Amino acid sequence: MGSSIPRFRRPAAVLFTAVGMASALTLAACGSSSSSTSPGAAGSSATSSASGSATSGNITWWASPITTSTPDPRTVLISAFEKAYPKIHVSLQSAPTDTDTNRASLITTISGGAASPDVYMGDVIWPAQFGKAGLAVPLSKYLPSSYFSGFAPGLVQGATYSSQVWGAPFFEDQGFLYYRKDLLAKEHMSVPTTWQQLESDAVTLVHKGDVKYGYVWQGASYEGLTCNFMEYLGSAGGSVLNPGLTSATVNSSAGTQALSFMRSLITSGATPGAVTTFQEAQAMSAFATGQAAFLRNWNYGWIYSNTASSPSSVVGKVGVAPLPGFSGQTLPGTSNIGGWNLYINPHSKNVAADLTFIKWMTGSDAQTILATQFAEIPTLQSVRSSAAVVAKNPVLATVPKTRLIPRPAQSPAYAKVSQAIYTNVNSVLSGATSPSAGLSSMASQINSAESSTGL
Amino acid sequence: MSTSTPNRVIAPARPASSRAGRHDDVFRRQLARLGWGLSSPALILIAAVTIFPICYAIAMSVSNVSATGNGFSLSGLTGSNYSIMVHAAQWRYALFFTVFYTVVTVAVEVAIGTAIALVLERLTVGRGWMMALLLIPWSMITVINAQLWGYIYNPTYGALDNIFSHLGLGTPVFLGTRVPAIAALMVADIWKTTPFVAIIVLAGLVMIPRDYYEAAEVDGANGWTTFWRITFPQLRPTIALAVLFRVLQAFGLFDLPFVLTSGGPGYSTQPLAILAYNAMFRDLDFGPGAAVATSTALLVVIGSLLFLKVFRSQAGSEA
Amino acid sequence: MRNRSRHGWHRVFNGVNISAFLVFLFIVIPLYWMIASAFKTPANVGASPPQYFPHPFSVKNFDVAFSQNTFGRYILNSVIVAVVATALVLVLGTLAGYALGRLPMRGKFTVLVILLMISVFPEIAVVVPLYALLRDIGWLNSYQALIIPYTAFYLPFAIWILRNYFLAIPREMEESARIDGANPLRTIWSIILPQAWPGLFTAGIFTFTACWTEFLMALSFNVANNYRTIPVGVALFGSEFTVPYGTLFAASVVAVVPIAVLVFIFRRSVVSGLTAGAVKG
Repeated sequence: MGSSIPRFRRPAAVLFTAVGMASALTLAACGSSSSSTSPGAAGSSATSSASGSATSGNITWWASPITTSTPDPRTVLISAFEKAYPKIHVSLQSAPTDTDTNRASLITTISGGAASPDVYMGDVIWPAQFGKAGLAVPLSKYLPSSYFSGFAPGLVQGATYSSQVWGAPFFEDQGFLYYRKDLLAKEHMSVPTTWQQLESDAVTLVHKGDVKYGYVWQGASYEGLTCNFMEYLGSAGGSVLNPGLTSATVNSSAGTQALSFMRSLITSGATPGAVTTFQEAQAMSAFATGQAAFLRNWNYGWIYSNTASSPSSVVGKVGVAPLPGFSGQTLPGTSNIGGWNLYINPHSKNVAADLTFIKWMTGSDAQTILATQFAEIPTLQSVRSSAAVVAKNPVLATVPKTRLIPRPAQSPAYAKVSQAIYTNVNSVLSGATSPSAGLSSMASQINSAESSTGL
Repeated sequence: MSTSTPNRVIAPARPASSRAGRHDDVFRRQLARLGWGLSSPALILIAAVTIFPICYAIAMSVSNVSATGNGFSLSGLTGSNYSIMVHAAQWRYALFFTVFYTVVTVAVEVAIGTAIALVLERLTVGRGWMMALLLIPWSMITVINAQLWGYIYNPTYGALDNIFSHLGLGTPVFLGTRVPAIAALMVADIWKTTPFVAIIVLAGLVMIPRDYYEAAEVDGANGWTTFWRITFPQLRPTIALAVLFRVLQAFGLFDLPFVLTSGGPGYSTQPLAILAYNAMFRDLDFGPGAAVATSTALLVVIGSLLFLKVFRSQAGSEA
Repeated sequence: MRNRSRHGWHRVFNGVNISAFLVFLFIVIPLYWMIASAFKTPANVGASPPQYFPHPFSVKNFDVAFSQNTFGRYILNSVIVAVVATALVLVLGTLAGYALGRLPMRGKFTVLVILLMISVFPEIAVVVPLYALLRDIGWLNSYQALIIPYTAFYLPFAIWILRNYFLAIPREMEESARIDGANPLRTIWSIILPQAWPGLFTAGIFTFTACWTEFLMALSFNVANNYRTIPVGVALFGSEFTVPYGTLFAASVVAVVPIAVLVFIFRRSVVSGLTAGAVKG
């Protein structure tokens, strides 16, 4: 190639730049004009019917699949709602099952200014992040505090950021201890109420050859490990952040007790080393195929182990109890709060109808359907403790006996805080780091996340 | 690629008479205009769709970005996003991992792919079937490919652990520690993408004129010598093209680690694209995330330009 | 047919052949595993130790994929998007590849490098502004929301590939066509394309596969159920805590069939195209 590109004649580059700049300018103009109208629209429809008493409209509800059973709880709830409010039509948009993909999709959609979906079902750890980024509507602006006081304690607190409530608790989830009652009966053991007891029971059962694994839980390097860790930490009386959310308090004696115990589960043989790759699916499968004696999992574990086609070979052999605590500390141990809230898209054109929908979905009709037909844990306190619900299945009966602990999601930097927790805990579990080194690394990463100096 | 005709401009050599010379100039300009005309639909489409988002992403990387409900607000011109990025240990590791991963997988794929292409070339019966079979892994949806390998590597019900335990090698947890996880990731990627290299190399292989081989046989050359002295030099531009595009793809590695390992354990299998994704969509740090994305693109561009400089004549570009 | 002495080649042929056979096994075994698992009963998919052969044989996974998950619709959407985008890429790419390969344009190499730079930019950074762009045009949740971006993002690679194969065609053929008075389009159609068939096939199959498997943009732009493509649809299988491997593999088996069929249908053209290239030289 002989000639170099002439400096003064570059039709290609000129063409490219011209087209590119032209489109950029046009769209910037379009973009700013359309985005400047949307908050106005949402504001006006909201103030006109702030009490959420709209009775007509079309709304789109974005929700990931709740269960894999048929019928689909989402469609059942929608039909029941439309029967109560015939003039409001709800269309369902099915969201990805992976929570991270779900969140990314919502962020793209809402920050791109879309008016649809109007209402979306989101994780309980999103309020601070979404609230700060303006991706949700502060419900406490439109709904009275009497509405929020009907929920079980701790749930509304978890949806609060900057003194506003951003999501309405829709259904809740928490960690339970599942055990093989046939094996405990065979070895004349009672249900363990302390972690130390559970560890020795698990080791005994493995040594006697009754099971391949003793106790399985979620130890992979992902959000679920933060949930597991919080349960041990809460049982030991510790916390992750100070009340001002500025510095880490996890590097404490409680933290050391929790993390060392988690590692000792593996070194003592109570838990297999493979647990460092277990998410819910793997732990559940190990328990349901009869390979483990104890399992920590969410409430779906009950139905899963009692349905032969899951696959499960332990149908009828499973018991459920609150999680154990540490001996010498408060019992029972703490269960981490999971579950889903309902949020409103700030660009929604029909906030009043959205509020009606949300109030109905968190009202006693919908909550009773969720609990009695689909065995999800309701968030409305009155429904949780009602006789019909408690009698539905042992998990729901156990719910009133548990102690709850939330993840430290009040901070908008929660995603990085959680990452600091689960990567370091996983590293300790795999033996690559000692508990004390893991805790101090965790604390320093949390501190830098809170002061937003890191990537 | 064919060296029998020189790669020169389509117009014949400039004759002595000036009138003929001017005629050639006019002719060349006509051809050039024609060229722009033919390529403008493609170029305009590409420019319209890609220039704006890319410029916007670059703009995000040099300003303070906050996500608001109405899109993004970009304020100021700052290098702080890049400074945050450079100081982050996660980024440095992701950079190292991405480069290492790219080099290893591309090298292995080119080696295996060329071998496959050589064999395919010799096949007379069943070549079509073999090609269809080869293309199946490559045409699988990357997410499903990742799930397949996750299923294979699973410690509880995975086939690989079962085989290992039958062989008396215990039940290793492949995705649990750094080195096995990286190796597992590479195997899954190599399995899926080698056919891509094989097809490109094959198409280049069959374009080599037969007379070269016949001449080599006449001279009594054996197989390996023929390959290295005749086939490989002719194949170099094709392989260079395959390497170039594989490197570009490998640098953007996302789907496979996202589904198979989520970048874990820890950050061990987190490439630059997932780091950028997490920064933007999980932590809502759009500024630093855009900085990671932009710097990745810049690195690849610089790398490709260097590569092209080295292989320019062989990649077929002309004066 | 090539007339080659077997003596010197025989050893290499066998050595290469054996290693290629091993590679063949490497490719086929995971494929077999996926197909076999698709035909297991949903319960046996997670069986431990794993079943190496499905017993009993069951098509329940396929049933779940199609009936419970509207998989058929996703296939249709993927087919439409991939076919149209590939056709566009091949047409525009051939024109541009020919121009940038054969015609004397100034600044040609700059253009090619810019094209390279564009195809290199990580998708994730581009998705959000592109989303805003599409929203403003009003193209979200439509076929063109995917077809146009796919065409734009996969054109650079196709142009490079096609250009590369066009360059290998001897000039004499073009010159003789020009002397005979053919205009450029005719030259492309009757002289260049038949010769560069392998390049077209490569570019076409690459583009089709890329469109077929692309996930990020499809997830972001076409969220409405009736416009989703296969990768997005697959992301909806199962629920929060379960990975329905059986259903996933059943969907995958169905999703690879079009590609296999395409290659099979065109295999004679591909084979003759490739061997014609060999004989010609």
